[in-house]
Amino acid sequence: MKRREFFKTAAVSAGAAALGTTTAEAGVTHQPVDNRKISDVAFPEKRPLITYSDRPPLLETPREVFTCALTPNDQFFVRWHMPDIPTYIDTDKFTININGLVKKELKITLKELKEDFEQVEVAAVLQCGGNSRSAFEPTAGGIQWGSGAMGCALWKGVRLRDILDRAGIKKGAEWLAVQGSEKAAYYETPNFIRELHLDELDDHVIIAYQMNGEDLPYLNGFPVRLVIPGVYSDSWIKMITNITVTDKYKKLFFMDHAYVVPDNECECETPEKKFPKTKPIYRMNVKSIIGYPSNGAKLTLKSQAVVRGVAFDGGAGIREVQISLDGGKTWDKAILDSGKLGRYAYRTFRYGFKPSKLGKLEIMAKAINKLGEEQPLAKDIKWNHGGYKYNGIDVVTVEVV
Amino acid sequence: MKVMKKVLLTTLIAATPMMAQVKEKIEVPYIAFPIKMGKGFDVVQANCLMCHSFGYIINQGRQSKKFWAGKVDKMIVHFKAPITDKDRKVIIDYLYEHYGNGKEQ
Ligand code: HEC
Repeated sequence: MKRREFFKTAAVSAGAAALGTTTAEAGVTHQPVDNRKISDVAFPEKRPLITYSDRPPLLETPREVFTCALTPNDQFFVRWHMPDIPTYIDTDKFTININGLVKKELKITLKELKEDFEQVEVAAVLQCGGNSRSAFEPTAGGIQWGSGAMGCALWKGVRLRDILDRAGIKKGAEWLAVQGSEKAAYYETPNFIRELHLDELDDHVIIAYQMNGEDLPYLNGFPVRLVIPGVYSDSWIKMITNITVTDKYKKLFFMDHAYVVPDNECECETPEKKFPKTKPIYRMNVKSIIGYPSNGAKLTLKSQAVVRGVAFDGGAGIREVQISLDGGKTWDKAILDSGKLGRYAYRTFRYGFKPSKLGKLEIMAKAINKLGEEQPLAKDIKWNHGGYKYNGIDVVTVEVV
Repeated sequence: MKVMKKVLLTTLIAATPMMAQVKEKIEVPYIAFPIKMGKGFDVVQANCLMCHSFGYIINQGRQSKKFWAGKVDKMIVHFKAPITDKDRKVIIDYLYEHYGNGKEQ
């Protein structure tokens, strides 16, 4: 708590000074909240995680997990929007329905999905667009996530293209409306549906039934979910039941009002003056998180220490991760893993050093992708009212003893 | 050869029933979120638990009156929460009293 307060005041005054205005007008960004308590209650198929809500379930992965390239299923974050989610699926009867502007409507059973189509795998990061939202000041709309609303898994399933080819798309078709099984408690609340333009479908977009070699956990969308590598998770519809092919885009609440950023160059605005035009969030920006050490860890003077973490972006691939131990004055390259999981997955990094001075030490990590895009300092990130797309340089403060 | 392989595969799978890791209904635990008691709580309970837990309120931290009024209005306008004008006011006062930061704006 103390640490959080410290960062808050520090970052707020720095940000205000840089902008030459008061914080209330500008909106500022600091390190997201860290070290939130892990619940002592475990949810189905999960270990205890940071728990924001039980209905709908909202679970965050603790920082320490972000040292591995693949996030274990039982520690993978959970994010639903509606309280009414199916707690049982009859795997023999479940079907994915394909309809609308198709030559042949399909009802695909799980058995057919696993046997009648080419099976493919892709390793990809799943991240909530609001991950790290607690970095924004004043408070941006939505759940105040720390940095753990993300994970990376090896997804196995069938290309959505192959399924649509089997149904046969009619002329004039342009959009797909993908619907999952979560339902609002009140009939007038907008349901959670996602629309995709047919052009967005490349070969990496799959309907997945497996995650890291196991069935999807219920809370991650059992039995099937959409996987759209490189894209924020509001598009990765869980427990898919229906896909309708249409010729027109239909305005939807969550796409047109909730998961949006200002449609201007900086994707930013001030709390007092919202930018009038918005666009749905889509491709992820470059980001990295230090998994070890965590804030408050104690390192021993002059003994070999290691920093570990994960880096990713929207699919260009990570070129480099750099570490700074002097507040960002100098940066040194970390060692990256082989990258064999592909450009949509986490690249793990490690960096060895000997702490040479007693007392507090700030460790910073910055990822740079293959397009040359790099993470900004937290204070240089511009505010947006939904608190989306935070990708500030991660900082952990340890103590050398 | 290719046909043979395919037939073999199908028979093998047909012999194994569709198995899921979880064979029964999952039970999502209930969490007792430490929501504060006080004047107006009964109205909050009646109006704010329909669509989500109190966890949604608690994780917002201490906020201004304007912030809380904005949230309640968001629930009414965007999510169609059926909340009366009278209840709306009681709820905002409750939220500001227990989760307020002392600022009107
Ligand atoms: C008709 C359904 C409904 C009711 C009733 C309702 N909410 Fe919500 N609320 C929602 C939905 C939907 C969300 C967004 C869900 C999500 O993104 O997970 C939400 C989100 C929130 C959030 C998170 C912050 C944000 O900006 O999204 C807060 C805080 C909140 N509600 C408070 C309240 C309070 C206080 C009440 C009682 C006055 C209430 N809600 C009643 C549907 C409802």
